[in-house]
Amino acid sequence: MASPRRIVVVGGGVAGYSAAAELRARGYDGALGLVDPSGLPYDRPPLSKGYLLGTKDAAGLRLAPEAWYTEHGVELHAARAAALRPAEGAVELDGGRLLAADAVVLATGALPRPLRVPGGDAALTLRTLGDAERLRAALAPGARIAVVGGGLIGAETASGAAVLGAEVTLIEPLDPPLVPAVGEALARRLHAQHAEHGVRVLTAVPERIETGSGGAAHRTYHLTLSDGTAVEADAVVVGIGVVPDTALAAAAGLAVDDGVLVDAAQRTSNPAVFAAGDATRLRRPDGTLARRAEHWEAAVRSGQAAAAGLLGQAPPEFGAPWFWSDRHGVHVESVGSLAGPGEVLVRRTDDGVPTAAFRLAEDGRLLGCAAVDGGLLIKAARRIIDRGTVVDPETLADPGDDLRRRAR
Amino acid sequence: MSEGIVVGGTEDIEEGTAKVVEPEESGFDEPIAVFRTETGCFFALNDTCTHEEASLADGWIEGEDVECPLHSSMFSLRSGKVKGLPATEDARTHRVEVRDGQVVLFPGTDADPDACPGQ
Ligand SMILES: Cc1cc2nc3c(=O)[nH]c(=O)nc-3n(C[C@H](O)[C@H](O)[C@H](O)COP(=O)(O)OP(=O)(O)OC[C@H]3O[C@@H](n4cnc5c(N)ncnc54)[C@H](O)[C@@H]3O)c2cc1C
Repeated sequence: MASPRRIVVVGGGVAGYSAAAELRARGYDGALGLVDPSGLPYDRPPLSKGYLLGTKDAAGLRLAPEAWYTEHGVELHAARAAALRPAEGAVELDGGRLLAADAVVLATGALPRPLRVPGGDAALTLRTLGDAERLRAALAPGARIAVVGGGLIGAETASGAAVLGAEVTLIEPLDPPLVPAVGEALARRLHAQHAEHGVRVLTAVPERIETGSGGAAHRTYHLTLSDGTAVEADAVVVGIGVVPDTALAAAAGLAVDDGVLVDAAQRTSNPAVFAAGDATRLRRPDGTLARRAEHWEAAVRSGQAAAAGLLGQAPPEFGAPWFWSDRHGVHVESVGSLAGPGEVLVRRTDDGVPTAAFRLAEDGRLLGCAAVDGGLLIKAARRIIDRGTVVDPETLADPGDDLRRRAR
Repeated sequence: MSEGIVVGGTEDIEEGTAKVVEPEESGFDEPIAVFRTETGCFFALNDTCTHEEASLADGWIEGEDVECPLHSSMFSLRSGKVKGLPATEDARTHRVEVRDGQVVLFPGTDADPDACPGQ
């Protein structure tokens, strides 16, 4: 593909925003448009944290101040893209307007996985600012809130609702969830926090949700769970994962398989379309498909890689993937992967509370590390993983060791 | 404010670490972090990350950048400029000088981004 001169980014989440910012940072000086119905790009992680709690407002969510877009020549289109028309060199907006585009970055993100049980569509979900506002309105002190799903977003929502004085019931089939993400020991510690903070935890799945007859303001919900338990709630929130939003890609004939398929340079099956973020799934050179990444940093990195790819530059090298979560007053981070073969070591405080977990390969290399309130430990682990340094297991398990020195 | 205050001797701040100077001490209205890089330069920024409540002095110092301990926002120690999301606002710099082995901080005076005090 010749160097593009008119690029349109579809989707203004952190992936689309990062692609636009990186295009400019790499010196791209052609036309650059960014299409998203919500207008100014905003960041999602605070929606289940500070924004839900009211400690952060909508202006605090912006990925860049409004002036940044003018300064960097990024034209914002507050609209939904109706179709990609790569063969015609255009993106069609709702209403039929065409934006000229000789290349596109598709970054449509993901949608909450719907709860497929009778009445499941009555539940709230949490993906957008609008969702967070609706949820916040439901979280009055004393309100009975049923949270379905105890993974990352469900746990953060339950935590926030409890802080706001709601009476929270968390419904989750696994005890504990998140073992692949943080390892068994930390997963147990984190899951136990719900009960410590007054959240009732039920190990089950909902089988149906009936909506009471009260008017909109007094609506109640009756959940029947797989173990027969009945739960009454004033609002139901579902956080059971996401599905990639591949509608535009599929309609444009791009290869899609539970995600828009991309290579390491974020190229789709159409040479004029690159894709990034939660909407995508990596197809390796041997044709196998990777697990979708559904975390913030992966979205940033893939947006940046798409920018490099579009400009025909080598993709930047990124190290092990990373994510964080904040709930019940603790900060959780994980780098690399705790899931898969290998030995798992746990670092504990003197009184036995697990604070970090490490997964080691047979040859001693570190493959993953998760920690509770251990940001610097994670930063050290990240460097150790990326460099392939071998650290003595006793050192890893020693709560007194400052891993930082081993990563220098 | 142009009056410098002595934060300590250069040896009081280990390489790759930082020391926080509280408002009571500096007269500036926010805590200031004074960093020492591994190359031996001293820089100062407002200690609180511009993204969320976190102390940059507790961050990871690599080269001339600091990574916030909470969400890994990255700032240039020299200029305070954001080099990595989720922060979007630059951090405020303060001038530092090294005189006779003493680290002198000028709270509220912008740093000269070309200076590398201590080298
Ligand atoms: C509540 C919440 C909390 C989270 N917390 C964390 C966390 O603590 N740590 C972490 O690592 N990750 C977290 N994540 C995940 C992280 O936010 C996502 O991985 C990231 O937002 C993905 O970015 P994206 O740009 O790919 O997609 P999205 O953020 O979903 O953005 C996609 C954008 O595309 C737009 N779009 C879709 N279709 C069209 C169309 N046809 N035309 C125009 N625009 C369109 C959408 O409106 C949306 O704005 C959280 C996510 C949520 C929802």
